Amino acid sequence: MTDESEVKVSLADEPATIGSKRVLGIVPGKPIAGERKEPAKKDMVMVWPHLLVRHAVAALGALITVLVVSVFFDAPLREIANPELTPNPEKAPWYFAALQELLSHFHPMVAGILVPGGIVAGLIALPFLDRNPSLATKSRKVAVTAFTTFMVVWIILTLIGFAFRGPNWGWVWPWNEWHGEL
Amino acid sequence: MSSILTRRALLARTWKVGLGLIGAAGIWSMWDLLQPLATPGFGGKVRSVAASVITEGSVTEVSEARAYLVRPPGGDIIALSSKCTHLGCKVPYCESSGRFECPCHGTTFNLIGEYLTGPAPRGMDTHPVEVGADGLLYIDTGTREDGPVPGVLTLDEPATGPSCDEGGHA
Amino acid sequence: MSISSERSSTLVDRFRDTAVGKAMFRSPSRVTPRDRAAGHWSNFFLHLYPVKMRRKEISFRYSYYLGIISAVLFGSLIVSGIYLMFFYVPSPGQAYANIQTLQTDVSLGQYMRNVHRWSAHLMVLAVAAHMAKMFYRGAYKPPREFNWVIGVILLVLTLLLSFTGYLLPWDQLAFWAVTVGSEMAAFVPLIGGRVQELLLGGPVVNSATLLRFYVLHVAVLPSIMVAVLMIHLWRWRKDSMLDAAREEGDD
Repeated sequence: MTDESEVKVSLADEPATIGSKRVLGIVPGKPIAGERKEPAKKDMVMVWPHLLVRHAVAALGALITVLVVSVFFDAPLREIANPELTPNPEKAPWYFAALQELLSHFHPMVAGILVPGGIVAGLIALPFLDRNPSLATKSRKVAVTAFTTFMVVWIILTLIGFAFRGPNWGWVWPWNEWHGEL
Repeated sequence: MSSILTRRALLARTWKVGLGLIGAAGIWSMWDLLQPLATPGFGGKVRSVAASVITEGSVTEVSEARAYLVRPPGGDIIALSSKCTHLGCKVPYCESSGRFECPCHGTTFNLIGEYLTGPAPRGMDTHPVEVGADGLLYIDTGTREDGPVPGVLTLDEPATGPSCDEGGHA
Repeated sequence: MSISSERSSTLVDRFRDTAVGKAMFRSPSRVTPRDRAAGHWSNFFLHLYPVKMRRKEISFRYSYYLGIISAVLFGSLIVSGIYLMFFYVPSPGQAYANIQTLQTDVSLGQYMRNVHRWSAHLMVLAVAAHMAKMFYRGAYKPPREFNWVIGVILLVLTLLLSFTGYLLPWDQLAFWAVTVGSEMAAFVPLIGGRVQELLLGGPVVNSATLLRFYVLHVAVLPSIMVAVLMIHLWRWRKDSMLDAAREEGDD
């Protein structure tokens, strides 16, 4: 590789040369691949070992958590399925508890189709709706507030559906009677 | 502005149409192949009891049909689907209150399946009932008719006792 | 060559210098950063990662490592799931008894079932938390919009996998959760009833439903998941390079 500074450019009749090649012109402007500044060298680190070691620790941590929890807590297994008898209360898995809570208040068309469909569609459309290029929380007030509100409402609904609902979907206090199912 | 279709454009268009057709055929055959097979028992006509057993005010459960046989005052016997019109839980009959009470989200229906309270969108669905050559009632579980809309109450009676939610018995 | 063999100290380094090692790793010694980058580049497993990243990108604060945690839990689900498949027949007559046998007679059966169950719950949590973290970091903004979309698809796939697996023990919990869940599909306008019948393989949850959910759970959805996950990771690597170039100077 020849360094750029070594190129001798002269306006004389003889064209400049690099090695055995003639320089026919020097074009000012951006590189062909688009405006792409090289990141400051000192800011970059090798992924191996710096990131891989951290990932290994996180991965082992997650794995050990699961392996230890599995020693002490058994997965639930209720009676064999019986189409004649709906358990009371009937609980969906916890990640659908918020939906189930909504279903006890609204028409299934709204709570079962429009809300979950709207959530997925909204999440997919999010990058195309939020055109604010800023990454700083301070300048993203609308987006951050909306998302936080959604998350808080959803977590509260999940908690209510998971732990605060008992027979006939009536209100119970989880410390009095426990109906959560995992 | 010429509208001559060049050979290149024609071929490109043919490819796209062909791919579209193959895709549509694939989706259609998937849809068709995965249709459920006819199974005996629930889904067909289910034999139950003699019509004389069903009296006004009684509720007779036919497990195999997932339905209850009831006789509205002065009317013909109807088969109420025990599947809640809300989300398909089995709606048990509560003896003490004289009502159908869904355990899942607390919908209640009266003795003949009309909507009273709760999140269900309509009253209990019904299946056609016929009297067979052997004199017994046959419930056609393959056909389902939507229950009456909320507000229709031909049998407007108060609960006969505590609901099963409040310690009544089934 | 001679320099590297002099400096080779560990067993791995010495193996790399043998004819077999060179055939396998096809990389020079790992002395200079350039050598190491070349070694990284030519390693199949490391090709999921970029060679270099910005210092702040590898910090805990940047991602809480929720992506790798989700991936590891998915791996644990595959391993424990395959183990469970050896002892399970998807039929209403056998499924429940199979689970009971698994828990009482099969060595490590109960344990593997626990691992599968808790990994599944934790994976739903980890994936959801990963999404939330990416939102607050603004990681869905250009040039990474599409990788966010792929991430949402992965979240939906995670929930579907979890839900289809929920039916397989064929206990009361499973049966009625799926009855209620599939009943929601019936409320989709026009085609809802047909879609529900297609999912269940009949008018109600029955043996066909169990078989269908089993096939979805062990074959269809995991394959889609792996394929989409590959795209997600590939784009992550590409975009992290783009990002490094774009953000140079600000923040």
